[in-house]
Amino acid sequence: MEKLHQSGLVFDGGLGSLLQARGLPPGVLPEVWNITHPEVLIAIHREYLTAGADVVTCNTFGANPFKFRREADTPSGAEGPEDAYTLRQVVTSAVENARKAVSEAGQGFVALDLGPTGKLLEPMGDLSFEDCVAAYAEVIRFGADAGADLILIETMSDLYELKAAVLAAKENCDLPVMATVAFDASGKLLTGGTPRSVVALLEGLRVDALGLNCGLGPDDMAAVARELIAYASVPVIVQPNAGLPRSEEGKTVYDLGAEAYTAQMQQIIAMGARGLGGCCGTTPAHIRALSDSLPTGALRPGDADLHERRQEAPQEPDAASAREATLVTSFADAVEIGDAPVIIGERINPTGKKRFRQAVEEADMEYILNVGLKQQEQGAHILDVNVGVPGIDEPEMLTRVVKELQSVTELPLQLDTSDPEALAQAMRVYNGKPLVNSVNGKQESMDAVFPLVAKYGGVVVCLCLDESGIPETADGRIAIAKKIIEEAARYGIQKKDLLVDALCMTVSTDERNAMVTLETVRRTREELGVKTILGVSNISFGLPVREVINAAFYTLAMENGLNAAIINPGSADMMRAYHAFRALKGHDPHLAEYIAGIPALQDAVRPPGAERKGSGEPGDAGLHGQSREASQKPEEPVPQGTDEASPLRYAILRGLKDSAVGAAKEALLQKEALAIIDEEMMPALDEVGKGFEKGTLFLPQLMMSAEAAKAAFAVIREHLQKQEGAAKSKGTIVLATVQGDIHDIGKNIVKVLLENYNYRVIDLGKDVPPEAVVEAVVREEAPLAGLSALMTTTVPSMEKTIRLLRERAPQVRVMVGGAVMTQEYADAIGADFYAKDAMGAVTCAEGVFAGGY
Amino acid sequence: MAMDLNRVNRNEILHYLGMHGAAPDERTAALIEECLSELNAKVAPKHVFRTFPLHVSLPEEDEAPLLDLGCFTVRSRDLARNLKGCHEVLLFAATIGEGADFLIRRYEKTQMSRAVILQAAAAAMIEAYCNEINDAWKEEYAAKGCALHPRYSCGYGDFALEYQKEFMRVLEMEKRLGIRLTDGLLMVPTKSVTAVIGIAGEEM
Repeated sequence: MEKLHQSGLVFDGGLGSLLQARGLPPGVLPEVWNITHPEVLIAIHREYLTAGADVVTCNTFGANPFKFRREADTPSGAEGPEDAYTLRQVVTSAVENARKAVSEAGQGFVALDLGPTGKLLEPMGDLSFEDCVAAYAEVIRFGADAGADLILIETMSDLYELKAAVLAAKENCDLPVMATVAFDASGKLLTGGTPRSVVALLEGLRVDALGLNCGLGPDDMAAVARELIAYASVPVIVQPNAGLPRSEEGKTVYDLGAEAYTAQMQQIIAMGARGLGGCCGTTPAHIRALSDSLPTGALRPGDADLHERRQEAPQEPDAASAREATLVTSFADAVEIGDAPVIIGERINPTGKKRFRQAVEEADMEYILNVGLKQQEQGAHILDVNVGVPGIDEPEMLTRVVKELQSVTELPLQLDTSDPEALAQAMRVYNGKPLVNSVNGKQESMDAVFPLVAKYGGVVVCLCLDESGIPETADGRIAIAKKIIEEAARYGIQKKDLLVDALCMTVSTDERNAMVTLETVRRTREELGVKTILGVSNISFGLPVREVINAAFYTLAMENGLNAAIINPGSADMMRAYHAFRALKGHDPHLAEYIAGIPALQDAVRPPGAERKGSGEPGDAGLHGQSREASQKPEEPVPQGTDEASPLRYAILRGLKDSAVGAAKEALLQKEALAIIDEEMMPALDEVGKGFEKGTLFLPQLMMSAEAAKAAFAVIREHLQKQEGAAKSKGTIVLATVQGDIHDIGKNIVKVLLENYNYRVIDLGKDVPPEAVVEAVVREEAPLAGLSALMTTTVPSMEKTIRLLRERAPQVRVMVGGAVMTQEYADAIGADFYAKDAMGAVTCAEGVFAGGY
Repeated sequence: MAMDLNRVNRNEILHYLGMHGAAPDERTAALIEECLSELNAKVAPKHVFRTFPLHVSLPEEDEAPLLDLGCFTVRSRDLARNLKGCHEVLLFAATIGEGADFLIRRYEKTQMSRAVILQAAAAAMIEAYCNEINDAWKEEYAAKGCALHPRYSCGYGDFALEYQKEFMRVLEMEKRLGIRLTDGLLMVPTKSVTAVIGIAGEEM
């Protein structure tokens, strides 16, 4: 590690192609040769060391418990040569071979090499984050035991898997950890990550070095390397391919020879990379040429020298400021909290919101996700996530909401909880570098939060309060901020990863409150050099027409240097203040965003007060009532005179969501809720269903009608709840896409329709094991279960599920559907019903619950 | 990164939506265009390919012919029929990336009507992308006096899905395209295609 910092390191080059050249047959896992052909591995390592490499990489890229059996497993004997060896044997021999080469060469370090697992992590695949950590942990323990000098995680393209690997390394050994990722030609990771989001994540996890490898040749890598070096505070490693691969007589060859490769590498050396090596297609000859090209000391610049190099490099982002950037990330790009004000959406929070609290209590993810996505549309850059409701398991709920949100939005999240256990678990599963809300000046708080930030990385909101409360003066708040900053430094948490919250108390109790907050914001920036955040709307608590005060205060705070504000992006006044400020302060080039946002600024965004009398919170209807297109162009109006008897029926038939909500509200003024459902909504739904079956109306229209009906139902349900408690559903149906199948759009369509017909649907999702289906059916005492499978290969899994259901829940009826299903298939695997499409599933349910079947 | 949306076959989208031959209503048609634009901002079409010499061993009685694709061997009657007269094969993998799956997943949670259209539009997009690269190869090989056979994927006929693993290995699909396989041999990102294309005609 010291050598990397002080003098830089030369890494080795490609391994796989060298093994193939020495006779590794296609289809055999290269790691098997660690045991069967150790002399080949030792020879290759030694060639690299003689060529000038300081670090050799063990042949463990693909060594993981998914490819090699564990100690306890007995060989099955049928799976080929890899089955003959355990993971421990493969890893241990790999390290031993490298150690042997190092001792023969008399110098060098041994890197335990970790690549992607080849498995898919949630939410795309079926591997859980913790299982992924555990898989890497095994390899790391074996490698460390065998005597590796460092851990090199490389060719990663999924930041979540990368996080799992780094955590596993940190938790299972004391060796230095280095991690490099594979960018494509567009400068992005396959999952959308960018150089700065990689740096933010990896430095948050405190790797010792980071960088890039594979994918591209040196020239094509230069731009990404430059950006990485600009943002990184730790040494950067660059290991490109020998140019681009091409196919020659069935063999992959790379087009850069040793000299050309070395020539291209010079620009990367000049940028200040501290670790150099090669990846696919590079050979000892490449490494020798590279190593020889380094005049003594070339990779050995002192810090001043390094800085100079960075200054000289053309078109480089301002290195000093890039390294000081406050970055929060998701799996995709980073959000920088800096001069341009950042909006943090505050709506995922049960405080004072009855409907939201109910959603948390019922684990109604759809509602919660919609609150998040709505704010994204309205312009939030980051979403605050608070699910603190008394009586729930907050760690479980927070991690679940975080995972679900990250499966549908690329916005970074602000984890908002006062429960340290919930925070710890959420930070662990979070994909990226989160905002953490919050720590304060109490010793207890700092003792709980800072170790988590030191471990997982994050930017922390620091509240200016401590054991003696909230100081009344700016002096007092600055003093607490200082104390927090000093304590953070003891954990190695830098200023750039802190956001001071000056706190704002309502001006309704003391008219000086706003000025104290604003002074604290300004002085935090000027005296402490730390960025600031504020929950703006507290300022007007207890006052009428709060939006007026909030918006003016927001503008004042931004003018005093506020970097991030926690606000409701659905508030027109706040968004007006935001856009106007950006326009006036030169943050909006050519005022493009201001002009593009005009419709929203004028009228489409209603102030919350106008949505509903009273609480000002958007109810279910308000939330779902405004569809995405509707926010840009209004729906066609319900024409006068057409179907005057029931505008609601018309709206459902035509799939007009906003109109359906309005019509339902109108109808409630004149009719009983149940009568509306029976006389207007159900006939409309039936008509749509018949049209679909006849082929006069198609899936998109069926879905639009279903959505319109759903929005109208929400209005009616809310009304019923006010009157007589919850509306009764017709019964419970469990739905699942069977194990092994990851396509569940068909099942989701069925779910929407069944809900329309007033069934309570327990949706288990996709890739659901038979046991989980049985468990849900038994727990819910569901009379009907629906299973879907898209692939012929997963039909056996469906059959297995049915068999288990028959055993443990004999009363349940089972309907099946999916692309490959037929009546014959359904009969053969013992299902009760075959639903040929979504309407078929509804017919089937209606039959079962009416007792017809 | 984006695709030329004119190349995406609208009829194919309608077909995937179950509207066989029926004209879409105005709103659906507009939604389809909206979805295509939204997808286009998120997709990242990419492909890899390699060519190999092809050797076919004549079958024993009752056996499917054995095809040596230069990187793995396959026993398949249907593929042999498709590759009849070819001396070389081109193996390729293509994807429009995870962005499409992400959008579909998002709208499944919020607006199902849009999710079904996105699903159909994305399927037509990967198809259009495959056609685009296929057309370029056709031209390239025509110049050399060769003809390309229609592409053929594993999972068709008796060309078992199991061979997806060989495509993964030979084309380094994980490293170069970010494609991974589920235990059920499905590709993720889901809007991905692998196929064999036979090359017939003049030997180069």
